[in-house]
Amino acid sequence: MLKTPKPVFALLLLLVFAFMSASAQDWVHTGTNRGAPIKLAVPDFKAASGDPQTAPLNTVFNQTLWNDLDNSGVFEMVSKSFYPLQMPGTPGELKVETWGNAPVDAAMVAFGNLGVANGKVNVQGWLFDAKNAGAPQILGKQYQENATPDYARLIAHKFADEIIFRLGGGIPGIAETKLYFISSRSGHKEVWSMDYDGQGQHQLSHLNSFALSPRVSPDNSRVAFSGMTADSWQIMMYSVELGRMVSFPRFRGDNFSPAWSSDGTKFSFSSSMRDGDADIYMTDASGGGLKRMTATKGPDVSPVFNPKTNGQIAWVSGGGRTRLPQIYIMDADGSNVQQITNQEGYAVSPSWSPNGMLLAFAWFRKYGPGAPGAQDIYIMDIASRQFVQLTHDSRRNDFPSWSPDGRHIVFQSNRTGTDQIWTMLADGTHQQQITRDGKNSQPNWGFK
Amino acid sequence: MRVDIFEERDKWTAPMLIAAGLHGLLAVAIVLWAWFGGSQGDVWGSSSTGESVNASLVSAVPLPATQPPTDNVLANDSKGLTETVPQKAVETPDAVPIPERETPKKPQPKAVTTANVKPLPQPKEPPKDNVVPYGQGGPASALSGSFTAANTKGGFNFQGSDFGVRFGWYVQQINRTVSSRWYRNEVDPSVTTVHRVYITFDIMRDGTPGNVRLSQSSGIPSLDQSAVRALQRIDTFGPLPDGYSGSKVSVEFWFDYQR
Amino acid sequence: MLLTLAGTCPPLEDIEVNHRKQSWLFILMTLLLAAAVTGCNKKKEAPPVPTPPPPAKPATATISVSPTSIQKGESATLTWSTENARTMTLQGQPVAASGSQTVSPSQSTDYKLVAQGDAGTPDAGANARLTVSEPPPPPPPPTRSATDDELFAQGVHDIYFDYDKYDLRSEAQSTLTQAAQAISQHPDWAIMIEGNCDERGSTEYNIGLGTNRATTAKDFLVKAGVNPGQIQTRSNGKEKAADCKDEACWQKDRNDHLSLRH
Repeated sequence: MLKTPKPVFALLLLLVFAFMSASAQDWVHTGTNRGAPIKLAVPDFKAASGDPQTAPLNTVFNQTLWNDLDNSGVFEMVSKSFYPLQMPGTPGELKVETWGNAPVDAAMVAFGNLGVANGKVNVQGWLFDAKNAGAPQILGKQYQENATPDYARLIAHKFADEIIFRLGGGIPGIAETKLYFISSRSGHKEVWSMDYDGQGQHQLSHLNSFALSPRVSPDNSRVAFSGMTADSWQIMMYSVELGRMVSFPRFRGDNFSPAWSSDGTKFSFSSSMRDGDADIYMTDASGGGLKRMTATKGPDVSPVFNPKTNGQIAWVSGGGRTRLPQIYIMDADGSNVQQITNQEGYAVSPSWSPNGMLLAFAWFRKYGPGAPGAQDIYIMDIASRQFVQLTHDSRRNDFPSWSPDGRHIVFQSNRTGTDQIWTMLADGTHQQQITRDGKNSQPNWGFK
Repeated sequence: MRVDIFEERDKWTAPMLIAAGLHGLLAVAIVLWAWFGGSQGDVWGSSSTGESVNASLVSAVPLPATQPPTDNVLANDSKGLTETVPQKAVETPDAVPIPERETPKKPQPKAVTTANVKPLPQPKEPPKDNVVPYGQGGPASALSGSFTAANTKGGFNFQGSDFGVRFGWYVQQINRTVSSRWYRNEVDPSVTTVHRVYITFDIMRDGTPGNVRLSQSSGIPSLDQSAVRALQRIDTFGPLPDGYSGSKVSVEFWFDYQR
Repeated sequence: MLLTLAGTCPPLEDIEVNHRKQSWLFILMTLLLAAAVTGCNKKKEAPPVPTPPPPAKPATATISVSPTSIQKGESATLTWSTENARTMTLQGQPVAASGSQTVSPSQSTDYKLVAQGDAGTPDAGANARLTVSEPPPPPPPPTRSATDDELFAQGVHDIYFDYDKYDLRSEAQSTLTQAAQAISQHPDWAIMIEGNCDERGSTEYNIGLGTNRATTAKDFLVKAGVNPGQIQTRSNGKEKAADCKDEACWQKDRNDHLSLRH
């Protein structure tokens, strides 16, 4: 019998409110300057010549430039429907106030022109501060390449990266980076590569067996991966420069899941060479100087270096220490082992952020915000052990890999029915599918 | 006719006794029935009514708006709330030391490599008097800027130049970068009134911060340290604008903190 | 049709003989008739003589086949003859009184010759049997590796695991004990153990889990006396797993697959 229902009711409301806002926070945000994105206007570049090649190249250029800036995690793109009708091609044609005031109300405007002459495409681009009519120019750039769609895309990537570098706090953009992944569309699982936006997908390896776990070296020169031979898995090396396989030592047992240190001097992988039980090993970049890092019973797989210091390794251990796989870190000499995930569920596929502070990984928790039975991508702050869930799908998301700018994550998801490659910003927004043919998995983000 | 009064009286006693006896039996019966047959009605005043709901918050709660917190979720290194004596170089054992060297025993939130970061807030000096007066949290003037985030306000000032006028976009970048690196929950949660701390630093040509120093304490050590740490977390602000000819620019940054 | 026996015999003496010698002639005729009956089997054809039909003689039939046994596809020759027969049938078909024929039946056949004599005389029949046999089968190929595969399949079976585990269940141990016995008897056998996982886990972790599953089985076999040099292990991770919807399907994929390397 309650004599004074009112205070209790108020308390209830308060608690419910707190609960709701706490769980709303569950979906939020880390890693990017999302607090105040810069409002950027990017009108289509003006066609600067009458050459018939100009129009199609200009279209490719404009689309690519817009996508690069829109996906950068730095800008809020002002919709083109607000833009004034006159298309500025040079600074003389641009009225700064028009762009800085309503309805456009942009903070920045990027504009320029593109023309084709004598088989070359020429692009001029400017970035102006739309709120500063007195001295608006931030940068002006000029490019010339052969007049092909691939080069039009390349120029757009370069210009976008310039803008992102300038306005994104000095962190280089990723528009020219490449992704390495596994595709089965040729009939076998092979190593493929593509631009970070999914363009230009092409096959690298021709093993005609099973290829897994591609990891590119920090200088972008070689891709290490695991290949199945008749009697074992071996670490294999593909040279991007030479366009063919190069040699790497063979070891007894199964050898797989390679990783590079960020200075390119050290190499790590999982191997069962000693006693048939998979453990973490370290070598130099050519596979010499073999050192064993773990000695536990049960599979130890998926090593990854802390790219900021190269002084630590995170990896997955299961079976022996704990039954289901969990994520651990240790110093690069094998000491100071710590468990990172808390025993709940099945945690795999760690990827260390470029600033050394965060681990992204795949977690099958069985209960929690994701539907039961789902495996989602999480980010954890290593120092505080606090984590955020980035995907909230009822299917399987796996193999997160950080971009070099620390703002993006590429991963695999089977939410469309088959495994495909997706990218997203590091706060979980802007999730986009970038592969469609066949089955595609295990993406790895190349370096700048 | 004869009336036997005496017989009447005699007759009256016995029935009386019988009546009394029956009444007594009846009473006993009632008592017995009450005793054993008893209370089948509601128990009044029971203590089993529903209480207010215990809402349990999701344990996996994360991060505040834009930044992951560090290991010191609670600022446990404050020595006093209202201490106005400039903070000494005190360091409690479990405070994460502001890194002077790069040898963490356990994973640090971030390894900052700028060499001229001071390890601890120094005893402060009186506010410099060659500094141009700051905007007091009003709209951004040409010389300084301000920002607002939850519980905080801040602003900065460029010493002796028109930098802010010419390069407003870069100023906003500084603004954005610092505010995203400042972890509010490093400040003692019992702070409730407004406090302001001033930090001064340089930005080099290539955008790296240097010479970070506390120019005026807020009186709250945890607030002071959180401001300094914010700067230490920054690798770069991005290269100085092309149109700027100096080799570096000096910035004074103030944080207003209010819970 | 009646054919007179007279067709097969030399013509009888003229009957116009002295009455006086009639009885002597009668005896002579009888003797001659007897001789005719016994002697006249060989002439095949002769025009019928319009003499009064002699007394009916029983028919005879003979048949033979050469060779008596052939292989399917080969042929043989039937030969037959009859005497004193009015009608002759071979296998129910009318034939000449004597003759021969080439036959090439696909299976063993009895050839029946039937000769019907004059009314009142019994039929004569004869049989000849021709045996037809299948061609002999080709000699069987050498059966040594087939026997190995059979023995292997009988004695060595795959084992199954619990989710995310690589330790041996009790029935897995019995299976492996039996396998160890079979393998120990064949020191020339090269065994491959492939560790497999179901499709639910993560690719890299499952390579490791498969390796451990294969190793656990190998260690058990070695402890049971098998020479470790005979055994090669490899993980398939989940690369050979089926797309599953239920536990029965997933359980089948969590296995060590044992096979004989040739």
